[in-house]
Amino acid sequence: MAAAISIQGLTKKYVDVWQKQEVIAVNNLNLEVQEGEIFGFLGRNGAGKTTTIKMLLGLVFPTAGDATLLGKAMGDNSVKSQLAYLPEETYFYDSMTGWDLLDYYGRLFRIPEPERSRRVQICLEKVRLQKDAWRRSIRGYSKGMRQRTGIAQALINDPKLLFLDEPTSGLDPIAHAELREIVASLKDEGKTVFLSSHQLADVEIICSRVAIIHRGKLLTTGTIKELTAGERTEIVVQGKAVTNGLLGKLQALVPDTERTGSDTLMLRTEDDDKISAIIDIVRGAEAHVLSIVPHRRALEDVFVETVRREEASA
Amino acid sequence: MVAIAIARQTVREALRRRVFWIFLIVAVFLIGLGPVLGFLTPKESQTIMRSLGLAVILLAGLFITIVTCIYLIPVEIERRTIYTVLSKPVQRFEFVLGKFLGGFAIVFLSIAAMGAVFLALVYFQGTTRGPDAGVLVWLTSGKFPKEMVLGVVLTFFQMMLLAALTIFFSTFATPVLNFFMSFGIFIVGNLSSVTESLTTSKNGLTSAIGKIIHYMLPNFGNFNVQNAIIHPTTEISNQGVFIRNNIIYALIYSAVLLILAVIIFDRREV
Repeated sequence: MAAAISIQGLTKKYVDVWQKQEVIAVNNLNLEVQEGEIFGFLGRNGAGKTTTIKMLLGLVFPTAGDATLLGKAMGDNSVKSQLAYLPEETYFYDSMTGWDLLDYYGRLFRIPEPERSRRVQICLEKVRLQKDAWRRSIRGYSKGMRQRTGIAQALINDPKLLFLDEPTSGLDPIAHAELREIVASLKDEGKTVFLSSHQLADVEIICSRVAIIHRGKLLTTGTIKELTAGERTEIVVQGKAVTNGLLGKLQALVPDTERTGSDTLMLRTEDDDKISAIIDIVRGAEAHVLSIVPHRRALEDVFVETVRREEASA
Repeated sequence: MVAIAIARQTVREALRRRVFWIFLIVAVFLIGLGPVLGFLTPKESQTIMRSLGLAVILLAGLFITIVTCIYLIPVEIERRTIYTVLSKPVQRFEFVLGKFLGGFAIVFLSIAAMGAVFLALVYFQGTTRGPDAGVLVWLTSGKFPKEMVLGVVLTFFQMMLLAALTIFFSTFATPVLNFFMSFGIFIVGNLSSVTESLTTSKNGLTSAIGKIIHYMLPNFGNFNVQNAIIHPTTEISNQGVFIRNNIIYALIYSAVLLILAVIIFDRREV
């Protein structure tokens, strides 16, 4: 499968003239996104996600590095006819109606009539914007309606590659679920989606691969399965003997062991082979195992661990 | 054409701004006051109406042009609507050109509206027959005020040049700074006789500064023909060449400013 996005050593530095400081927004980023995948681009606020997207779209210029989009150099105007972008906040011309806005963007893509009107209608229907709102001023739209319009404008040119920056943030649960479904359906149409989001549950559901970026630096990348691999088992132990050396014995075997009550301990291990040894120790100490619950690691756990580890090492 | 689509959108947004309509309505009202003021001073009625009309068109045109054009590009950046435009296959020169054409259209519409009212009043002031002679006779008994048309047309080209200057500044300056720079250069550019005299100063530094100001800044003063066309005693020699040269000057200077604007905007991060 060909790479829809290929980023080599992309770097963006800003110079604060007054404080004579250099701020590195994106630091030597290397990344490949394959065609047809929904790729999650994760990071805290200010991690460099939006700056990366803006560099790829030619809105800001990299200090160093290069990238190709659909095989063409970043910033090449000809490739933009196959791209789409939904910015983090949906900024539109408020006086326009949803229909007129999409018609305007269709003109910017040089889509002739009657094809343009057909596309406008298809896109507004696809994002399930209520029909009576099509000819109403965007000023009166709710956040959900604006976000739907934003996705509709991103689809007007039937793009191959979409950059979606927080498409589901700040929405009510129903709108949230609907827009997530719409984004997920893009994969079935063979489109590549570069999704920047803080909604890790969404990312886990719809993305095939993710990258985690922190302070401009790529920390990790991989499939959801790879990153969340390593099922963790939580074991709760109860017994009067927990204080009599049991805690120390168990900690020697499972470092992630903590006291959760006066006579209870909680152990967390990713190594299932240790479970029988734990049981033997517990029995020997005249305590007993209350529960053994296997837990799959969520993407959120991976994200938090990865970022915290990086912050601690910094 | 993409630039036309951007221009259309620009006009649409500009027409929504109340300040545009306030300037235009007040200007039309003041032009309409001309015949009333003329009626109070019958001997000077023609001169008063013509002077007032041309002055109002110039001043209202000046404010409409600056107030409209200083916001055209900054507001797109500030509201971030520019993200969804420049991420599409839109070249930056098309964006700047579209913004200029939109501003140009607003200038044209406002000068045309004020000019139409003004020329109609001047025409009817010059009718030799009254409505009692029959509507058609009355309507056709006036003399088409060609020299006033010249005044309006040159004001339009003067404003076109100012629009290009303002758009140029808007690619790197804030609206407030742009307002003062554009307005200041318009004032200095209207004092071309003063700046020309500086070029011949005996003081070397004054002469050098005078030359820079006189030859580099747009010569807005060349478009001011009010005195010549209002007072019958003065006339513009070689009028055809004068008009042609001024229009060519405005077109070339505007084109140069737009090219510079594109060069700057092409390097600007949004």
